[in-house]
Formats: sequence, structure tokens, C-alpha cells
Amino acid sequence: MLRELWRSNAGKAGIILLALLLIGSVYVLLTYPLDFGTRLWSNPAAWADNPKAAPPAWTNLFRQEPRVEHRVFQAREPEVIETAAGPVSTYRFPLAYPYAEPPTFLAITLGEVTYARRPPLISVSLRRPDGRTVRLYRHVPPAPRPGEEPPFRRYHETPLRVQLSTEAATIAAVREFLEAEFGVQVSERELLEQADRALFGAPVEEDAGLRFVPLRGEYEVVVQVSFADEGDRLGLVRFVVGGAVFGLMGTDAIGRDLAQGLLFGLPVALVIGLAAATLSTAVGASLGMLSGYAGGRTDLLIQRLADIVSNVPLLPLLIFLLFIIGPHLFLVIFILVAFSWPGLTILVRSMVLGMRSGQLLEAIQSLGASRRRILFRHILPQIAPYVLAQLIFTVPSAILAEAGISFLGLGDPSIPTWGQILEHGFRTGGVYVGYWWWVVPPGLLIALTGLAFMLLAQGLEPVINPRLRRGP
Amino acid sequence: MSVLCPLATRALTLAGVFLAVLLLLIVTLGLTGFADRMLNAAVGEQLRAERTTLAQTIRDPDQLEQALATRQQELRAFYGLDRPWTARLPQALLRVLTLDLGEARTLRSAKGSNRVADIVLERLPRTVILLTTALLITAAIGLALGTYLATRPGTLLDRALSGLAAISHALPTWWVGILLILIFAVRWRLFPSGGMYSTPPPSEPLSRFFDLLKHALLPVLTLVLVSVGPYVYVVRTITLNVAQEDHVALARAKGLPEGLVRRRHILRVAAPPIVTGLILGLAGSLSGSILVETVFNWQGMGRLYYEAVLGTPDEAVIVALTFLYTLLYVLARLVLEVLYVFLDPRVRYAE
Repeated sequence: MLRELWRSNAGKAGIILLALLLIGSVYVLLTYPLDFGTRLWSNPAAWADNPKAAPPAWTNLFRQEPRVEHRVFQAREPEVIETAAGPVSTYRFPLAYPYAEPPTFLAITLGEVTYARRPPLISVSLRRPDGRTVRLYRHVPPAPRPGEEPPFRRYHETPLRVQLSTEAATIAAVREFLEAEFGVQVSERELLEQADRALFGAPVEEDAGLRFVPLRGEYEVVVQVSFADEGDRLGLVRFVVGGAVFGLMGTDAIGRDLAQGLLFGLPVALVIGLAAATLSTAVGASLGMLSGYAGGRTDLLIQRLADIVSNVPLLPLLIFLLFIIGPHLFLVIFILVAFSWPGLTILVRSMVLGMRSGQLLEAIQSLGASRRRILFRHILPQIAPYVLAQLIFTVPSAILAEAGISFLGLGDPSIPTWGQILEHGFRTGGVYVGYWWWVVPPGLLIALTGLAFMLLAQGLEPVINPRLRRGP
Repeated sequence: MSVLCPLATRALTLAGVFLAVLLLLIVTLGLTGFADRMLNAAVGEQLRAERTTLAQTIRDPDQLEQALATRQQELRAFYGLDRPWTARLPQALLRVLTLDLGEARTLRSAKGSNRVADIVLERLPRTVILLTTALLITAAIGLALGTYLATRPGTLLDRALSGLAAISHALPTWWVGILLILIFAVRWRLFPSGGMYSTPPPSEPLSRFFDLLKHALLPVLTLVLVSVGPYVYVVRTITLNVAQEDHVALARAKGLPEGLVRRRHILRVAAPPIVTGLILGLAGSLSGSILVETVFNWQGMGRLYYEAVLGTPDEAVIVALTFLYTLLYVLARLVLEVLYVFLDPRVRYAE
């Protein structure tokens, strides 16, 4: 059957697409923490270092003037110099800066400080292409508290994060720098909005006021740590140059990396689709077989039930029940299963009825085969291809239903899905300000996943219906 | 007589379905405590609002608490919370069955009326403008193109359309709506991104009409785009299946002209399932589309249901809407049963 599937173009495309989706899912399952949704995705602190609502980095390819790319520097091995006062570690982060705009923000994160007697002195400075150096920030971790025993540990649980662009000390330092190096008098209040612009530009005084001409070239961020003793250490140094564009997929309004959320949504969508489709197909096929084979009152009961259930509008019902019981992913799957079996039941029943009146089953029955044997050895294999096709066909509908539910804000908050990303982009008005990277990819992924299964179903058609193989 | 008897049986079955759905609704609303929870929330909300106003006139805290407690009792009685749901909800159902839709507790029509009938009558035309129009356009294209393609299976157009049908089946309609908003409303600023009228709405009837048209264009386009592929495909497949049957070959062998074969021997036979789909679709379109109406901020029937459940919970509206949906469906099925008598001779001659 696989070979037959491979022979048609649709089947081939479907298999390739599905294989890609499965590879992506396996990657996610291997590399993502299981509590990704609660611990990372819905935790704004985890995304503080990302720019907000930044388009993907590759949009620069289509722009004349490239926008600032997001850069994160994490400490590598520092240069260590021994001085009389103690060891001095220096971290150097080279930063090529060809952009006409300043970064959206500058931030530094320090963590895992351990010292024996006196806290280290940490100072951050920026070396500019014009040879000048600006001190950005200076920090001494808290001194030992009375009664505390060495070694003293600071910033181990929660690292210290400083948004330099709005930090008063940094702005004061920039003001001093402008005055000393360029002879420009500017108040700190004026600098509040344009500290980044001043750091990455040269001041020009005009009639209209102070302006900064972008200064392009090689910058260097220098983080210097003076320790008091041998063995004192600073475990984490991270310097972030906030970009206007970010990564493969950009970020949303609270700075979440959309690529990560979209990737995580892949196995979730597949699980929802496959679980709901498999279960509802199993229920539908068994009820259909039972109904067709048992006949009589059982048949009547199942058919009436199918009649009622198939006419209940699914989406209003889902909304209703999810609101009452609470948004759980398993409930969504359960409701989808509970209300999508009738179609297959009616189809399978009519097929079984047709078979039952045929001579083959009569012959087998007269040979003394048990009912169970007839059902599983003679009826099931004949309807199996239809059931399989139905299963594949149901997957996209289940994925769409879940996405719709999530879009209405009834998604399971502990598990990010594509529908939820879309909902967030829509509810926060991202659509109306043109944040396309936020709303187009999730929908595209939903459509692509659905399409993989539709193509498979189309490829399966000649297998199920040999009449089609001859072609017109 | 022979026609009426099976019709009566079907009508009885449908009435059974009808009652079953409504009973199911009442039991879910009551047993899960949803109705009580919803109404309690409403009482709490109202009390909170009244506490601030009362606090200005009554200074003594004890007196205030007492006044609020009496007020709570009144409110609970007003919402029927002093009676168990087994007494309250069946009453609502009985009332609804006599076509008295009752009064909404929280939702109002634009004119401020709290009669559910007024609210529904206000929302219904809006949904008709959107969904019924879209369905009629889709059906017109679908019928014309589908029957045409059935005569030319395997051509490039035919294959392209079955591809489109497959893609449409995997596309979320509401997302296509968002895409259209992004392109036509945000990027090119050709059409409004949502709502029914500009603010302020034009006062002249004619320009008002064109304003409405402009707002309806994107959602209708969305609905048609996504549903036309599958529609054409279904019509084409049904027609094609009939065209391959023996009686058509016989008709051709008799030397009947092709036009006659198509009209009398193919389309006539293919009509019942196509008409079934159309009528059920028309009935369904009146209940609105929650998702598309949400995307385009269109205050139709779908949004009404959504608001009644999630926005400002309103049990009377939920019961009334479910009743209307089911009634519509059952009526559509009855219309179909009657139509079959004309469309399908087998029904006429059965038994």
C-alpha cells in the first residue's frame, strides 16, 4: 500500500511533508523541557532580554537600510591579569555595528558571584570606533551581612539584570561623557529617551537642538571585574544589544521567541489531530460494524444516536463545555471524539449491510464461523482501507477545531499551541499594526499540517477505490 | 397517503431529536452548576456595583451590610436562584417552546431592549448579510463550475480544483480572514478591517448601504474563498458518479441529445444530495459563524452566542439560541422531506 501511495504525486508530497513534521516533533520532544508552557512560555521574565514585537532577522534581506540585529554576548573565558590588589578579569565582546539606528535597548545580566572577603567591583564600558570609551555601568555586589559565613554567594538564584538604556547611573555617565569628550551640555532628562542614540552616534548641535549622527564601525563592550582574592568568581556575564529584528521568526509583544513557540506547537498539533482522529475513527468504525452486523434494536439505537450527535453544532458545544468544565486539552480531544464519529458509523454500517447480504458471508457462516471471527477476519479487512482514509481525513478537522477553540481564548494555558499564538496576536491588536510575522506563520503551519494529511488522503484514493486507477 | 405516512414518521423522529437536544442542554446547564454559577456571578457583580452607591448614603457599616444582604436576597429571587434549577430551567424551556423567547438578563439590543426576540431580530439580518450571502455566492459558483467540470474530468482545471478543495479543507477560515485584513485593510488600506459601519455611520440610506457593503466585502470574500473549492468538488463528484452510471450510458445509446441527457438523466438524479446540502447550509448559515464574526468584529448571531456564554453570561439567551438553532435545523429537514417528494420519484412510490 505504501508503494501505491508513493506512486502518486499527492501521496509522495504528503509522505515527505509528514516526515518533515515528524522529524520536527521528535526534535522538540528530545530538546524541549516538558513544562515549556508553564515555566518558559507563559513567564515574561524568561523573555526579558528579547526585543518586543520584532520582525524576523531575514527581513533585512529585503531592506535597503538593514535594521539592528539582536545580539547576545555570553561570557567566554576572560583574560586574567594578576595585580597587587588581586586578580582582574576582563571580558571583551567585539560588536560590528553597521546600522543607522541605535539598538532598541542595552542590558547586562550578572550572576553567580562568589567571594571570600570583599565583593568584586564590576565595571562595564563601551569602546567606540572613534577611539573614545564610555563607562556604562559600575556595580559592587552587596557586602556580607552581619552573621553571614563566607564564601558569600550573590545573584545565584536570581541574576542581576540591568536595563542600561533607562538606568540612571548609565544616563549620568553618558552625560559626563558627552560633556568631557565633545563639550556638549545636555540634561539627563533629555538623554533619557536617547541614551542609546548618544552611545552609538556623534553629537551635532543644530538650531533645532541636539542631534546624533550614527557612528558605524567596530565597537567593543568591555566588562572588567576586579576581585579581591584568588578563587572569587563571577559565573555569568551576559550583554544584550537589543535589536529591531530577531531570529528566524521574530518575537511577539512580550518578547517571546516565536520560533520556539511555533516549534513547540508542532507535536502538540500532531498529538491533538492524531489522537482525536484515531479515537473517533475507532469509535465510529466499531459502532458502525456493530450496528450493521447486529441489526435489530441495537442498530436502531445506534443510528438514532448518530442522527442526533451528528446534528449538534460542534463549535458552540465545544465553547459551552470548555467554559463550564475549564480549558483542558484532553477535554477538547474528548469532545471532538464524542461528536465526530457518526459519519463513519453510518458509512461503515451501510458497507457491512451490503456485505452481509452477499454470498461470501453466507458461505462463511454456513461453514460454522463464529460471529467474532466473521467480524474481525472477514468484515474488518474489507472496510479497513476506508477507515484508514477516514482517519487521515479527520486529522485536519481536529487540528482546525482545536485552533479555533484556542483562537477564541479557550486554549489550555499550560500548553502553547498555534491557535493560542494567533489568538494572542489578534487580541493584542498585532494584526491591525501589521505584525504579520506573529499571525501568518502559525496559520500557515496549521494549514501545512492539515495539507500533509489531505495529500495523504488523496494519494490513498486509488488504493481504496481501484476504479479511479484507470483514470478517465 | 403513501407519501404522507413516511413523512409523518420522519417528522416524529425530528421532533424527538429536537426535544432530545433541548433536554440535553437543560440538563448540562443545570447539573454542571453552570447556570447557578453564572447567575451567582451576575448577582455578585451587581452587588459590588451597588455597594459603592449605597456606601454614600448609609454610613453605619452594620446597616450597610444588612441593606446589602436584603438586596442580595432580592437579586437572588429576581434571578430565580432561590429555586433549584429543576424548577427554573424546565420552566424556561416550556416558555421557549411556546415561541416566547423571554427576556435576556445581561445582553441588550442596540435600542436597549432586553427581549431576546428583539436581540435576535437585530442580529439575524447581519448574519444573513454575511453568511447567507457568502453561501449563495459559493453555491452559485459551485453549481455552475461543478456540473461543468463533471463533463470534463481529468482536465487541468479539474485537477487544479480538486487540489484547491484539498487545501481549503486544511485552511482555517478565520485565519484566511486575518490574512485578508493584513493585506487589504492594513497594508493597502483598501477596506475597513472590521465592524459593520464606519464611525460615524453615514446618515443617508444609500451611502449607508455602500458603507455596509464595503465592510461586508472582506468577510464575504473570506467565506467564499475557503468554501468554494470543496463545494465545487462535491458537486462535481456527485454529478460525475451519476454520469458514470449505466442508465446514462443507456440514454446516450438511445441517441438522446447530450443536453437532454445532462438535464434529465444526470442533473435530475444528482439533485437530491446537492439540494440537501444547500438547504441545510442555508439553515446553518443563519446561526452565524463565531470565528469569522470575531475576526471581523461583526455583531451577528455567532457573536451573540459567544457573548452569551463567555462575554456576559446569559442563560436565557443560551436556551433561546439553542432552541432556535435546533428549530431551524428541524424545519430545514422537514422542508427537505417535502422536497424529496418532488425531487426523488422513489420517495413517491415507496411502499
